[in-house]
Amino acid sequence: MSPPEVHHLFHAPIADHSFSADKQTLAVARDTGVELYSREGGGFKLKDELKGHDKTVTSVDIALESGRIVTCSQDRNALVWEPSPSGYKPTLVLLRINRAATFVRWSPSEAKFAVGSGARVIAVCYFEEENDWWISKHIKKPIRSTITTVAWHPNSVLLAAGSTDAHARVFSSFVKGVDDRPQPGVWGERLPFNTVCGEYLNNSAGWVHAVSFSPSGDVLAFAAHDSSITVVYPNGADQLPKAVVSVSTQLLPFMSLIWNGESEIIAAGYDCEAYRFKGGEGGWQLTGSLESKSRPGAADAREESAFNMFKQMDLKGKTKDDTKLTTVHQNTINTLRVYEGSTGGVRKFSTSGVDGRIVIWNA
Amino acid sequence: MSIIQQQSIATLGDNWRTINIDLLDPESSSNFETTTLHPAFAPVSEDEVRTLGQQVRQLLRGGDAEGALKGALENAPYGGDNAVKDLHLQTVTEVLQGIKASEMTPMLQRIYGLDGGSDALDVLMKYLYKGMAASSAAPGKSSRGSTLTPQSTGAGFSQMGGRPGPPNENSGSAMSVLLSWHEKVVDVAGLGCVGRTMTDWRKV
Repeated sequence: MSPPEVHHLFHAPIADHSFSADKQTLAVARDTGVELYSREGGGFKLKDELKGHDKTVTSVDIALESGRIVTCSQDRNALVWEPSPSGYKPTLVLLRINRAATFVRWSPSEAKFAVGSGARVIAVCYFEEENDWWISKHIKKPIRSTITTVAWHPNSVLLAAGSTDAHARVFSSFVKGVDDRPQPGVWGERLPFNTVCGEYLNNSAGWVHAVSFSPSGDVLAFAAHDSSITVVYPNGADQLPKAVVSVSTQLLPFMSLIWNGESEIIAAGYDCEAYRFKGGEGGWQLTGSLESKSRPGAADAREESAFNMFKQMDLKGKTKDDTKLTTVHQNTINTLRVYEGSTGGVRKFSTSGVDGRIVIWNA
Repeated sequence: MSIIQQQSIATLGDNWRTINIDLLDPESSSNFETTTLHPAFAPVSEDEVRTLGQQVRQLLRGGDAEGALKGALENAPYGGDNAVKDLHLQTVTEVLQGIKASEMTPMLQRIYGLDGGSDALDVLMKYLYKGMAASSAAPGKSSRGSTLTPQSTGAGFSQMGGRPGPPNENSGSAMSVLLSWHEKVVDVAGLGCVGRTMTDWRKV
């Protein structure tokens, strides 16, 4: 297995990152702007900067088909950046929220995007041709605290959201004229806008950092601040789920997770490395880290000469340099995304974190 | 809770600053009902906890320290009031003090390996933090009062009554026991266990 591809872009936190479909362009949310990098040889080179927000950009997402970039920020706005020959053109989207926008993702159909916010609403936005304008509709009902994360179902109608009220919820974001009527499934039969298809909480009720639908869309996984991941197997509308499996780990909380097939989840967070979970309806287990600790770069444990040892003791009062973590990422991992393949079978995935690194891993 | 804190209606005109406006706003985040974050607990009476405590102590005296610890942790009285919870804290603390340092880690590893063992250690961690909070406040009057109340109302035999030593000495030794347990629990159940102690709404 080849070692992970590490790109240290800058010494600042990366709130979110996103690759274009051809993987040649990388968008990185940095402070109040979004930086666009293009691949050149083995590395990434800064190509363009999207300036439009005046507060910290919290999330960025590139639509794979259309190439449009959506960003959202603590200034309560979302911008859609349309690619054009002369660069990216921003369009302001009126979200009608009075708190920071925290998270944004395009629907798989790319006709809509959803913005989570601190105003206890999710703004579902779609383009209206007649007015040449992005419209936002609010999902409001049972949400009682900040939305930290959202994730789309493959049918582009159902939307999962995690919140600081410790609930992971599944909503319908059906918009007439934009979406096709969804097939009835495990999440419900009739799905008008703002239908609550599921509301889940685990025992220790930490706030939710990440949610994700399985490749089929029939299973929901979420990671919470109690260092757990919980996998929910629903059982049709208005019924208790078939199974809710919660795995409490010994680790620090996970910030992001992706599915790799129906029986594997990859999650990463405050422990600065990615972990693999395996299981099914009967139960899930943490199977271990995706990082091989004995990689050639880990030369920290090499034999020191006696001279060097005493020199270090003299200079630093200790013989070992322990200012570096043994993991590739040197700080919390914020975002984990599929890089190559799909959630049905991930070949490579990318992570970004507070340390300003983008790392591409083999799954 | 009334809308007006401390003041009566008559003084409302002067004291509008004391109106708790959050109560008038149904959208306010201060109206967040935290009881929805955990399942409803069955109420636990003082007698039940006392009986449980005696059973646990019996196990401890009989040499089954592991059984005593498991019994105490699996039956944490989430639904009890503060007096009940303090009473159970005493039981747990006593069990912890009755286990030798060399036995701690193997015992924790055995419990962790069991079904639901991770949950048991989460509960243990909650008691460690509660114990540390209580014993650091021990020299004060309030917590002494609360630890004494159950004994004075208690019918019959109570072990804590047999040790009327100075509170400082007691809390100091209790603290060192709790700290060494804390270290061992983190070794076995990881930092995730500490995180869950903080996020969990099922308070002990």
